[in-house]
Amino acid sequence: GDLGPFNPGLPVEVPVWLAINLKQRQKCRLIPPEWMDVGKLEEIRDRERKEDTFTPMPSPYYMELTKLLLNYASDNIPRADEIRTLVKDTWDTRVAKLRLSADSFVRQQEAHAKLDNLTLMEINTTGTFLTQALDHMYKLRTNLQPGESSHSQDF
Amino acid sequence: SFLQGSKLEIPLWLAKGLYDSKRRIISVELPKIYREAWRTVFSADANVVDLHKMGPYYYGFGSQLLNFENPENPEIAQTILQATGGGSVLPVSDPVCSPQTFIARFRRIMDSSQNAYNEDTSALVARLDELERALFQVGQKGLNDFQCWEKGQASQITASSLVQNYGKRKLAEVDG
Repeated sequence: GDLGPFNPGLPVEVPVWLAINLKQRQKCRLIPPEWMDVGKLEEIRDRERKEDTFTPMPSPYYMELTKLLLNYASDNIPRADEIRTLVKDTWDTRVAKLRLSADSFVRQQEAHAKLDNLTLMEINTTGTFLTQALDHMYKLRTNLQPGESSHSQDF
Repeated sequence: SFLQGSKLEIPLWLAKGLYDSKRRIISVELPKIYREAWRTVFSADANVVDLHKMGPYYYGFGSQLLNFENPENPEIAQTILQATGGGSVLPVSDPVCSPQTFIARFRRIMDSSQNAYNEDTSALVARLDELERALFQVGQKGLNDFQCWEKGQASQITASSLVQNYGKRKLAEVDG
C-alpha cells in the first residue's frame, strides 16, 4: 500500500515492520499504542487475576508488540520496565488459567470446550501438548466401549 | 510341544496371535500391575507410582491386554484411564466418576513440562511411562519454542544442520 506523506514532526501510521526499521536507522521516534500504558495495563492485569474467564486483550498481538517495541524503542515508552513486568504478569496469569482450564476439561472428560479471548501466542505454547494429550485420552476412553473387536484367527 | 496347563512367558504379539476366545488354546494371566491390588493403589493416588519401573508401556500394553477376554477388563480400562486424583489440590465436583490414572497424572506432566523453573523434572520423568514421556517432550518443546522466541532467537537465521555436516564430510573425503 501507499505510505506517507512523511512530514517531519507529524505523526504518521505505518506498519510495524517499517516502524522498527526506521527506528533502527534512527530516522524516527515511535509512539506506543494507547494500551501500552501503566494504568491501563494494571487494570488489565487485575481483571485477569480476578476473573475466571479470559480478558479480551487490547490487541491479539499484545505479546509480540510489547516485545518488539520494548526491544527497539524502549526510549520512546514511558516506564518501559514496569510495562514489561505488567505484560509478563498478565501473560503468566493467562497461561496458568489455560492450564487450569485444560486440567478441569480432562478430569471431567468433556467433549467440547470454548475459550474466548485467547491469543495465538498462548494457544501455540500449550496447544500441541493439549491436543496430543486429548488424543491419548480419547484412545483410552474407547477401551471402555464394550464389544470392541478381538481378532480371531483360524489355524 | 507343550504340556497342557504349563505356564510360559511369551511376547504380547505371540499371545495375541494364539488367542482365540472360542478355541481356548491359551489363557492370559494379567501382569500384577493390572490386577486388583495395584488398581487400588492407582485409585488412591496415581501420582506416586513409578510407571517407568512397573513396565514402561503401561498405557499401551494395558490397552492391548484388553484384547484377551477377561472379566476384569472393564476395571482395567477404567483404571488405566482413571486413578483418583488424591494428590490433586483441585476440588472434584462429581464423586461418582472418580478421576483416572492418565487423567490424574496429566496435571503434573503438563505443569512440569511447561514450567521453566521446575528443577526436579528429571525425578518426575524417571517415573513416567513411555507415552507420558513423549507427552512431556511435546510440552517442553512448546515451552522451549516460546523461550527461544522471547530471547529473539526465532528471528536469527542459522545454518541448517544438514549443511553444517555437509562441509565436514567434504573435508573427510579430501583427506580420504
